[in-house]
Amino acid sequence: MNLDEKICQSINQLPPFPIVIQRAMELIENPRSSAQDVVDVIQFDQAITADVLRLCNSAYFGLRRNVDSLREALVMVGFNQLLDIILTRGSVQIYGKPCKGYDLDSGELWRHSVACALLSRIVAKQLKWEAQPAHFTAALLHDIGKMVLSDFVKDYLKDIQNLIETRQVSFIDAEREVLGIDHAELGGKITDQWKFPKTIVSAVRYHHSPSLAQEDHQAVQLVYLCDVIAMITGIGGGADGLSYPAYGEVMKQYNLKEEDIERFIVQLDDRFHLVDEVLRAK
Amino acid sequence: MQVTGDPETTLVTYSLGSCIGVVIYDPVVRVGGLLHYMLPESKIDAEKARTNPWMFADTGIPLFFKEAYKLGAEKRRIKVKVVGGSQILDTCGFFNTGKRNYTALRKIFWTNEVLVEAEVVGGNVNRTVSIEISSGKVWVKTSGNGVIEI
Repeated sequence: MNLDEKICQSINQLPPFPIVIQRAMELIENPRSSAQDVVDVIQFDQAITADVLRLCNSAYFGLRRNVDSLREALVMVGFNQLLDIILTRGSVQIYGKPCKGYDLDSGELWRHSVACALLSRIVAKQLKWEAQPAHFTAALLHDIGKMVLSDFVKDYLKDIQNLIETRQVSFIDAEREVLGIDHAELGGKITDQWKFPKTIVSAVRYHHSPSLAQEDHQAVQLVYLCDVIAMITGIGGGADGLSYPAYGEVMKQYNLKEEDIERFIVQLDDRFHLVDEVLRAK
Repeated sequence: MQVTGDPETTLVTYSLGSCIGVVIYDPVVRVGGLLHYMLPESKIDAEKARTNPWMFADTGIPLFFKEAYKLGAEKRRIKVKVVGGSQILDTCGFFNTGKRNYTALRKIFWTNEVLVEAEVVGGNVNRTVSIEISSGKVWVKTSGNGVIEI
């Protein structure tokens, strides 16, 4: 068996996908279903419910009065924001174990992913795009491939680093050359196997190579850009560092300037710390 | 931002990315500090600069030194080390925050005649920096590589 085949087989080692996110995916695909469906599922999970309510009651939302139930939270913070919180909290367990190959302790990749997801809202707002749960979810899961690839990166990190040094290639190019597959492609396979909406699969698959995407350009470019900004902040940054290519076309297309990137970082700062404090991965 | 004279303390800031970690230490009074700033100029958001001046080089660095002076550190004795300022592989010039962060620091230090004793900056790696207050020793860990003393 080739190394890349062995890697693809390891997808099955990921923890079972949280039912909360599964339901959220169904909602994304079926707009006629209601937010109440998600509330109905998570209200039986006390840990998630408690954390969701804590975040709703935190300074993040600045509500005038406390919310005591998910039904109330739904009314007070709205469907999209409640779904964001549920997805964020629901993803904690997926990112539970450390990613030794990328030199990341437990929860660090979750922190990077949350930063990216929060940025997807910030950037979309600036671009006057409608808030889409699929964009937030794709940003939250863009590096899911690392959870599987990490063990293999650990075994071949010296080879990857040597290639970067001798040939001046990016980490992802070296990853692909040494292992036969990179974390973005693997992430695409994982989300496809989980039967996620194709927008999410595309955004995860092409988050380091947006120009190669054949469709779902908006989601792909958004996740690409948010990942770059999250890397700049260093939040949850690992052994791959910032060794990824830049695509100026995305900035040009949306008429974004360097100052916009810095404003996004300022906006992220407050939101991220509030979410991180309340929902920090254990 | 943290400044202390407590010899039991080790100050750490993790995973700097394009941010910069400035470490200062006065070996006579054994007062040290660590500033982690994210952006070069506070003009990008005046309100944020008011509530969190440490986020920007131009507002954070002067205040940082003043905090150390309050604990007895003196400018002429302070040793300065600088870490961070990485960049993504950008040939199009849109994502220069690391370079801009470093340039802002050099400008402030040049104007105020502050010398940098050691620095590990640039490239495209994540770095973690720490200072042991009792000895003034400073370590830099590069993610995926080892730890070095600077």
